Amino acid sequence: MNIELLCVVLLVVYVVYIVRLIWVLPFFRSYGSGNDESIDRRGPLNVFVFLGSGGHTGEMLRLVENYKKMVLAKGNTVYVGYSDEKSRIQFIQQVASENEGCRFEYRRLKKAREVNAGLFTSLVSVLQTLVQSLAVIFKVSRAMSGKPHLVLLNGPGTCCVIAIWFKVIEWLNLFQPSSNIVYVESLARITSLSLTGKLLYWIADLFIVQWEELCLTHPRAKYYGVLV
Amino acid sequence: MILAMAVKTVFVTCGATVPFPQLIHVVLGKALLERLSDAGFRRVIVQYGKGYEAEFRKRLNALECVPAKCSLADSTLGITATGLCCGFYAPGALEVIGLEYSTRVQDIVGLAGLVISHAGTGSILDSLRSGKPLIVCVNDKLMDNHQQQIADKFKQKGYVWACKPCESEVSECLSRSQSETLIRFPQAYSARFENDLKRLAFS
Repeated sequence: MNIELLCVVLLVVYVVYIVRLIWVLPFFRSYGSGNDESIDRRGPLNVFVFLGSGGHTGEMLRLVENYKKMVLAKGNTVYVGYSDEKSRIQFIQQVASENEGCRFEYRRLKKAREVNAGLFTSLVSVLQTLVQSLAVIFKVSRAMSGKPHLVLLNGPGTCCVIAIWFKVIEWLNLFQPSSNIVYVESLARITSLSLTGKLLYWIADLFIVQWEELCLTHPRAKYYGVLV
Repeated sequence: MILAMAVKTVFVTCGATVPFPQLIHVVLGKALLERLSDAGFRRVIVQYGKGYEAEFRKRLNALECVPAKCSLADSTLGITATGLCCGFYAPGALEVIGLEYSTRVQDIVGLAGLVISHAGTGSILDSLRSGKPLIVCVNDKLMDNHQQQIADKFKQKGYVWACKPCESEVSECLSRSQSETLIRFPQAYSARFENDLKRLAFS
């Protein structure tokens, strides 16, 4: 009898998580244009941004700056994920020092080493990166949960790990609200998506391209002009 | 600042990371410097990129530039490392300033009346967001990147003039820049995007 009960419970849990998975994936969700006036859009916002490196950091800084009325509004908390110190300094100089009304928290995410590493060391390093980033994303996701929040990503590869962790946490915790992942494809991508873009196309809640042609081949992609 | 603005300046940028010798070669060639001088330019600022200083100095010498004190303060140019070199090209009455890397590219773009840039999106945006006329030069020696596509796209939209790094093509773009005006690059703000962000964040 106990075995039967256990089976039923397992089956129910199984079904619940399958349904939850479908619910969590943006592909099966609709982001309809609901009544704009019905949502209260005030109050502090929690934002997670990830600074990739070089060009990615550059575009992210521009994006944040161009939409600072919303993203850097007074009282907001901005979690800044970064892998290289240079990007963090750039962010402090160009964004944080000019917007003192926001609270900025910096979270370093390890980059998987690939140069001159043997197979074993690479494997260990990739695992370390995964575990370390899960710890960071778990804390950020808990801090933002229940409050209005956004996750802004624009590449490169580390963004895949970040996005997957956000969605896995959302999937496993049935009461976790949507991660609200916004991915903005690089301005340099005109005719095809980047590798990160190809993956995040299936995960991001709002997937944005900056050239209209890409919308033709990617119906989920949204185009608002050049945003950076 | 007003004094600095009064000197008609062209800013040439190869990007901060990869050198672009062909573009430097064209810009620091007698033919192009004379064209620039004829068009009324009196100052050329070149960001030549990492590890290219020795080569740049060699070219200045080849032009028989008279070493001179830079007319712009370091605070304007924002030079973090070494790499500032400056000379006066007498035949064209042109001041030539070279720097490896600047933390204040935006300020330098602000001084310029014309920008000649490699086809990196960062440099293109630096110019277009400041509303400066821009000639984009494609580094065709680079493998596996999208510079040609980017240049073609911006050219097709009429936001820039685009060319290959050879004297005749850069010259042609230069003369076009003196007679034509570009289509204004649309602003980055989209109310529709901000609205969708709000809908996502606050619902």
